[in-house]
Amino acid sequence: MTDVKSEKSNHTASGWSRRDVLKATSVGAIGAATPMFFTQNAWAEKAIGNYPIKGSEVVLGFNVPQTGAYADEGADELRAYKLAVHHLNNGGGMLDTLKPSKLTGNGILGKKVTYVTGDTQTNADASRTSARRMIERDKVIMVTGGSSSGIAIAQQYLCNELGIIFMCGLTHSNDTTGKDKQRYGFRHFFNAHMTGKALSPVLSKEYGTDRRAFHLTADYSWGHTQQESMQEFTEKEGWTTEGNIMTPLKTTDFSQYLSQVLNSDADVLVLNHYGANMVNSLTNAVNFGMRDMQKNGKNLEIVVPLYSRLMAKGAGSANIDGVLGTSGWNWALEDEGSKVFVKTFTDEYGFPPSQAAHTCYVQTLLYANACEMAGTFYPPEVIKALEDFEFTGAGNGPTLYRGADHQCIKDILVMQGKSPSARTSDFDYLRIVDKVDAKTVDYDPAIFGGELGPYEPA
Amino acid sequence: MDMTLNAFTLSLLTGLQLGSIYVLIALGLTLIFGTLGVVNFAHGALYLIAIYLAVSINNTLGFGLALILVPPLLFVIGVAMERGLIQRFYDRPHTDQILVTFGLAIVLQELLKWIFGANNIPFAIPSWGNGIVMLHDYLPFLEGFVVYPKWRMILVVVAIVTVSAVFALLHLTRFGLVIRAGMRDAEMLQFLGVNINRRFMVVFGLGAMIAGIAGVFGGPVTQVSPEVGMQLLVPSFLIVVIGGMGSLGGAVLAGILIGMAQSFTAPYIYLNTIIIYLITVIILLVRPRGLLGAKGVFE
Repeated sequence: MTDVKSEKSNHTASGWSRRDVLKATSVGAIGAATPMFFTQNAWAEKAIGNYPIKGSEVVLGFNVPQTGAYADEGADELRAYKLAVHHLNNGGGMLDTLKPSKLTGNGILGKKVTYVTGDTQTNADASRTSARRMIERDKVIMVTGGSSSGIAIAQQYLCNELGIIFMCGLTHSNDTTGKDKQRYGFRHFFNAHMTGKALSPVLSKEYGTDRRAFHLTADYSWGHTQQESMQEFTEKEGWTTEGNIMTPLKTTDFSQYLSQVLNSDADVLVLNHYGANMVNSLTNAVNFGMRDMQKNGKNLEIVVPLYSRLMAKGAGSANIDGVLGTSGWNWALEDEGSKVFVKTFTDEYGFPPSQAAHTCYVQTLLYANACEMAGTFYPPEVIKALEDFEFTGAGNGPTLYRGADHQCIKDILVMQGKSPSARTSDFDYLRIVDKVDAKTVDYDPAIFGGELGPYEPA
Repeated sequence: MDMTLNAFTLSLLTGLQLGSIYVLIALGLTLIFGTLGVVNFAHGALYLIAIYLAVSINNTLGFGLALILVPPLLFVIGVAMERGLIQRFYDRPHTDQILVTFGLAIVLQELLKWIFGANNIPFAIPSWGNGIVMLHDYLPFLEGFVVYPKWRMILVVVAIVTVSAVFALLHLTRFGLVIRAGMRDAEMLQFLGVNINRRFMVVFGLGAMIAGIAGVFGGPVTQVSPEVGMQLLVPSFLIVVIGGMGSLGGAVLAGILIGMAQSFTAPYIYLNTIIIYLITVIILLVRPRGLLGAKGVFE
């Protein structure tokens, strides 16, 4: 292509160059949009994300792992979301126990609640693609879900950028509401720091203060913060840390790491693993005879900081018998909120909900209630309604949605695996050892750094 | 971390045990490649089918029946897979074979997830294989208390027996002679009146059957969840490449090498994560055909 030819090709027969057309189009577009700038009044009319909502329905985006390692948790999250939508539109469930609440069972702000679902595939890129599709194509006003901290953080950044509120699903890393916290991200679930704080006193009471711990840690955001928190708080109880090995997330056979533990002086093995990782590492450790072994004249003990019923079931009750850990919630809790949630969930699906289902259900209701309290879907006002919101009746006692880091401060549970003979049903794997109150697990939000950023996205 | 004699022994055993699983999977993979020239990415899914069959039978009818039933079942599944799908791709480019077998692997993985769920299914070790072996009772040079799970030592023995049986079959029987001849020059064998296609079908079934044996004994070690097949496929495929495409001896050697490397680098996470790829690069630079790769195969 020659210069002359390219110059000619820039001009139309009428003498307009391509640049002229572009300029005219831009000016026209600005002109066409101008009246809208001036007719907007105050915050209520300003467009952020998918606000304002057109029509009589509001769409929520449930982005959960439907495939991949956490698909079972994702399936339970989705069940909970569907139940939440049903309750928001028709009343019932925790709408009767959540206090204070402006939820009426008539949708959100009079609009009927509908939803779209996405598959995070437990993969950061896939979760972002799926969230973006829901935001841009399906026009969701809020995104929620996920079963991994890496995924939650990835979606939280994306949603913050696009002006969409992200209500985290199951994420336990300190980073989610620590160094990676975002103005548009909110976490109801507890975190690794709170686990360390709640679990360590119980561990020292059960196993003594003169203990040597060896950590095996999943090599990603959650694992790292969980290990740091467990080390920090067990050392405060007098324990020493013999070693820590970061294990790749996709490990299925942990024998090479367990050999290192066997060869150390450690008498406690801390498995900072979740989901399939924990199931495999714990089962492998049991195969290595670690549940029946003595070190330094003491029984070698295994600790699983973050427990879930699905994990306990995967590992088998013979393997988790007596093993201590923490959970955010359990279906055996006797408060009114938990009871009504368990009943409606069990009536609908035939089995009790998991802690992942609980946190997702509550997050949906809290978002809806914040919209009702703000009187608008306008994200900055909804965020302000959620910040420092204090509530009860959602299964964890009096709870604060802390404004400084968007972390819920609430009671958490120390759990212990039940023996096969102590189980009463196919869902009964864990026993509540202790309910650690919100005050005990509270902490200064400044310790993890991070910035929430502005209410209106740049 | 100082490497004491105790630590060295434990790492050595772990390396052998990790290598055993890899070898059992890579053996079928390389056997199928060597004879049929098919890069079977669905081989990990065959292992997956094997562990799900094994855990289902084990948890209901007992381990004995799982051991008797799963390998022959896998043989049948392998033959069905070869007749139903793979044989249609013998004359197609390797890229087509990779795409169709990879697709098949994903379909099988999702199918198993649909039937059994994504959560792990506990695989109970039979009572005779449960427990630990007190190594210090047998090895006087070890200090203090050194133990290793009995089941993992059984797994190593099973791998040795399986490898020996496959070698015996290929080198000591007439069937093996024909197969080896077919690996060299299938066309010539057909000119000589041998129905090599039928024998290749049996080889595919045999490869699947080895995955069946791996599943019965490896299931309690790798655990039973839908991700396991894909996770083992990549190292196993690299082992086939490192060992030399189609070389059974090479696969065994490379499997043990990778197992050892993973075991001895365990305390160093970043090295541990990349060691398998590092070894692949180094070996392919020094020996482009792999450790025991034969000239003319896959070239």
